[in-house]
Amino acid sequence: MEQAAIYQLLVERLGDTAGLAWHEEGPQSFATVAAEQIQAVARFLREEPRLDFDLLMCLSGIDWDGYDENGKGKSVDILGYREDGIPETSDRVAEGDLGVAYHLYSYQHEHQFALQLRVRRGKPIVTTVSDIWPTAEWHEREAFDLLGIQFSGHPDLRRILLEDSWVGHPLRKNYQMPGQWQEVPLKGQPYSKNPFKPEQDSVADDSGDSGNSGEG
Amino acid sequence: MSKETTTPPPGYDPQREQMLDFKVDGQLAQIVASDRKNFILTTIDEVFNWARLSSLWPVTFGLACCAIEMMAASATRYDIDRFGAGAFRATPRQADLMIVSGTVTAKMAKRLRLIYDQMPEPKWVVAMGSCAIGGGPYFKYGYHVVKGVDFMVPVDVYIPGCPPRPEVLLDGLMRLQDKIRGRKGKFRPPKWISEYAQKIPYRK
Repeated sequence: MEQAAIYQLLVERLGDTAGLAWHEEGPQSFATVAAEQIQAVARFLREEPRLDFDLLMCLSGIDWDGYDENGKGKSVDILGYREDGIPETSDRVAEGDLGVAYHLYSYQHEHQFALQLRVRRGKPIVTTVSDIWPTAEWHEREAFDLLGIQFSGHPDLRRILLEDSWVGHPLRKNYQMPGQWQEVPLKGQPYSKNPFKPEQDSVADDSGDSGNSGEG
Repeated sequence: MSKETTTPPPGYDPQREQMLDFKVDGQLAQIVASDRKNFILTTIDEVFNWARLSSLWPVTFGLACCAIEMMAASATRYDIDRFGAGAFRATPRQADLMIVSGTVTAKMAKRLRLIYDQMPEPKWVVAMGSCAIGGGPYFKYGYHVVKGVDFMVPVDVYIPGCPPRPEVLLDGLMRLQDKIRGRKGKFRPPKWISEYAQKIPYRK
């Protein structure tokens, strides 16, 4: 089934309550949906026999920092490390929403569909779809780990890549790079300040290089 | 070749010397021909260094794409076993050498330090590739990458490249062998290693 036809089917069934809108600009057409209605829309897409989306190909988190609600704007400069290895800082306050994108596929009908939703940055809570597609469980953990999107109803919402004691969500565009984490240095330093720089007196004698010593 | 100051002792056999891979400069080692007595004069340092550099056993420790090149170096075409370093040990307690082949992330850095601490002395570390040397392409935006493995462990040889070809790894290995061959005195870890290790809180 064509993607526009799938969207028409969605509108017929769920009406205006789901806050649906259709976007055809760009390489991938997608439907936007209200964040509160993602559970109903996902369940319809999964269980309707004509659609039968049995595969969640990808669930991605998005940071719309610098863009307004219509996707207009330009990307902001993210913070990194300076050339001398010190983390960059900025006073800029992050704006714009966070988002989640769902890419679906049906092995039965061999068609695909893309969904997108937005949540407010101050309260990024989305209902989980891991009870509909179990593969979403780890994808949602990743979106939580790196972007800080909370998935309500998720059975085990922990960080999946970083360790539990990590502070912050690194793929947010206003994330400031850490200087260290649990005594592991993460910023760069000049070699002269390296703790393992050999001192002149404490290292064993390395002067007798074999290639030269025999020649006097 | 210009100056031949030392005259070879009676019964001097240059072919025999080359087989034994000793550094012979007329003072440290002499091989006396078999028609007199079979004995070798050398020093403890020479023998121990020769034994150590000839059997550098690396710990099996691959982190990223550099590990693929390390595997290629240990395969038949490049054959790191020619240098006695082909026995990749699956436990750090049997290894002398740690080839840090790849990106050292923050999580891995703690494990790396633990593996290094489990290796018996004497031990050596080779930083392979630009990630292990200084963060490499992850320097600017790598929130999770240690900007050089020498912030965690002391490094003996740095091998540049992204990733280095197996020839360069073999060259780095030979430079390390040169370093071991020229080393004199006791094989104690320098004092600053143990002092620094005491400050690491996760080594309880």
